[in-house]
Amino acid sequence: MQLFLQTLVGGIGFGAVYALVGMGFTIVYRTMGLVNFAHGQIAMIGAFLSATFFLDTKLPFAVAAIMSMAATAVVGLAIEGILRPLEARDFDLMLIGTLGFGVVLEAVATRIWGATGRAVPAPVDRPLQVFGIIIRTYDLVVIGVGAVAAVAVWVLLNRTKAGAAMQAVAMDRDAATSVGIRVGRSNAMAFALGAGLAALAGTLAAPLLYVTPSLGSSLGIKGFCAAILGGFGNINGAVIGGLAFGILDGFAAGHFQQYSDTVTFLVFAIAIMVRPTGILGELTVNRA
Amino acid sequence: MKVTATNRQRLLAVSACSVLLVISGCSSSKKAAGTSTPSGSAAASSTAAGSAAATTAAASSAASSNAAGSSPASDTNPIKIGVIDAQSGQSSSLGKWEYDGVKLAVDQANAAGGINGRKVELTVFDDQGDPTVSTNLARKAVSEGFIAVLGPAESADAIAMSPILQQAKIPFITSGQSPAMPKLGNPYLFLNSPTSTTYDTTLANYAVNTAKFTHIAMISNNGAYGKGEHDAFTAALKALNVAPVADQIVTPDQTDFSAALTSIRQKNPDALFIGAEEVESGLIAKQARGLGIKATIIGAAPTSTPIFVQTAGTADAEGAVSSTPYLTNDTNAQTKAFAAAYDAAFGSEPELHGAKAYDGAEIMLQALKTTNGAGGQALDDAIRAVKYQGLVGNFAFDATGVGVHETQIGLIKNGVLTPAAS
Repeated sequence: MQLFLQTLVGGIGFGAVYALVGMGFTIVYRTMGLVNFAHGQIAMIGAFLSATFFLDTKLPFAVAAIMSMAATAVVGLAIEGILRPLEARDFDLMLIGTLGFGVVLEAVATRIWGATGRAVPAPVDRPLQVFGIIIRTYDLVVIGVGAVAAVAVWVLLNRTKAGAAMQAVAMDRDAATSVGIRVGRSNAMAFALGAGLAALAGTLAAPLLYVTPSLGSSLGIKGFCAAILGGFGNINGAVIGGLAFGILDGFAAGHFQQYSDTVTFLVFAIAIMVRPTGILGELTVNRA
Repeated sequence: MKVTATNRQRLLAVSACSVLLVISGCSSSKKAAGTSTPSGSAAASSTAAGSAAATTAAASSAASSNAAGSSPASDTNPIKIGVIDAQSGQSSSLGKWEYDGVKLAVDQANAAGGINGRKVELTVFDDQGDPTVSTNLARKAVSEGFIAVLGPAESADAIAMSPILQQAKIPFITSGQSPAMPKLGNPYLFLNSPTSTTYDTTLANYAVNTAKFTHIAMISNNGAYGKGEHDAFTAALKALNVAPVADQIVTPDQTDFSAALTSIRQKNPDALFIGAEEVESGLIAKQARGLGIKATIIGAAPTSTPIFVQTAGTADAEGAVSSTPYLTNDTNAQTKAFAAAYDAAFGSEPELHGAKAYDGAEIMLQALKTTNGAGGQALDDAIRAVKYQGLVGNFAFDATGVGVHETQIGLIKNGVLTPAAS
């Protein structure tokens, strides 16, 4: 029972990280029609930035996280400018273009921070003891922050004007333009939001894993799978998919040791074959 | 295929991305010691784009040029030695230490006149810690006329390169430790370090007889080094009639160990043996403490390194036990001299990996003096005949290529490795 609960908490913790990656990815897809395979690498840049702020300039973890999100959002605006020609194009172009861009980001990160990577200590260290079950305190922090972020995104998208504009652009770009929504600015904001969420995911994952330029590919793949599992294009689906994927990953690691990745992706593949549209159903973006 | 507007755009996008890939592959250069070798160094490093980009980058990087002029007589040409090691990626610290140790030895030899007047020319190749890349680099070394190779530091890469170098009769001295290497039966393979068997027998004796641990848990990875450590330590424990209370296997690329460590914690161990490389060991130690495991961390060479302490954090690395043949730089006059020279050349204190690389290079240079710069079987026999009092021990190579058969026990105190009070 103890082992089960501990694995569950750890799995939900990672699930929150994957959910954040999946959410950012889905928001960009829904509003801009861009499938961004460099999203994981943006998360990696966010992780490196917050590691630098936290470890080198000795800022408190929360401050470092917020600064990293802001910085990555700004970087995201620049990236959006570069990737704009690929928006609403056919899938092959987006795939190759953004994959290549991800490789460039990884090379840039290696240039700036080196190849060996850095270990980030968790901001809260001592494990909690609850009814004889030992839980890593930081896991609870990740779950809490992830939940707050998900709610904040929901509020932004459904209760603010900017969010309504993003959703309008997602529904029908031309109609949105004709009612006076500035599509370019809305898209830039959406990308910045997605990048900020990716940076938050990378920052939260850093003390759990190890920050190297290749962190992006593993987070990116898992976040992408999370988004697909929950329903491609569905923002709520990204959250559900992320949690499901994280729990699956946690239990596979517990039972299958070094074969856990094999089992996780096998189960994922079977789930997708059984239900190709994901848990909550797809919401694909149709472009002319 | 008709070149329509969409096709053209597609072609443009694909070619733009290929150009981006090749540029990023060629422009990321090796991150080696930062000092330049006597000749132009050829480093074949690449991004994560894969072996295709690596081959492109390797082909386009210049091979080392002959610095000794174009005299036709072969006895004034420099002697070409290759260093094949991880200069990028997670094992890059190992590669840097090894290269620094070798370079120090070679620079000192060249300053003293070289090998009977001929300079030694070092060329560094980046194998990224990947056995596939190191195999290609071994072939490259063979085809470019290198007479000896020093490195790699990773056992998996050494095992991959072994058949190619054996066939070309190129002796190589590796820093790897896996007991699988002496078993290869390659007469051209030498180890500048004891094997995992030696490290772990000493460690097990300390753990069971001196420190009196009763519940020893094990966690190791399934790479060549980790597997060697796992098997050696299990065998050493068995010889002492002790069974480990847990035996978890992880992968070399893994960064999250909470599942394995949670399972280990259930068994209440008082010692945790880690059989993994430096960074992974550090992460395991850090996460173990984060999950409330209070057991003493014990391990072989990786737990003695600054990288382990840095990755785990000084607090979590405190009290870690390490089995290593090179405890401190202050052990004797020879180590002190070596440490001073190393510090002067590279601005940092040496540790085990730099020391054993230095020993290996010194042995190679001594053998080259005996054969007067010749390679092949003569060089091989000369290396085997060398009896050398090195920094990591007294070298006397046996038929399987192992030269040192002893290690000692150290403890990490305040982030620094100190001899254990026995």
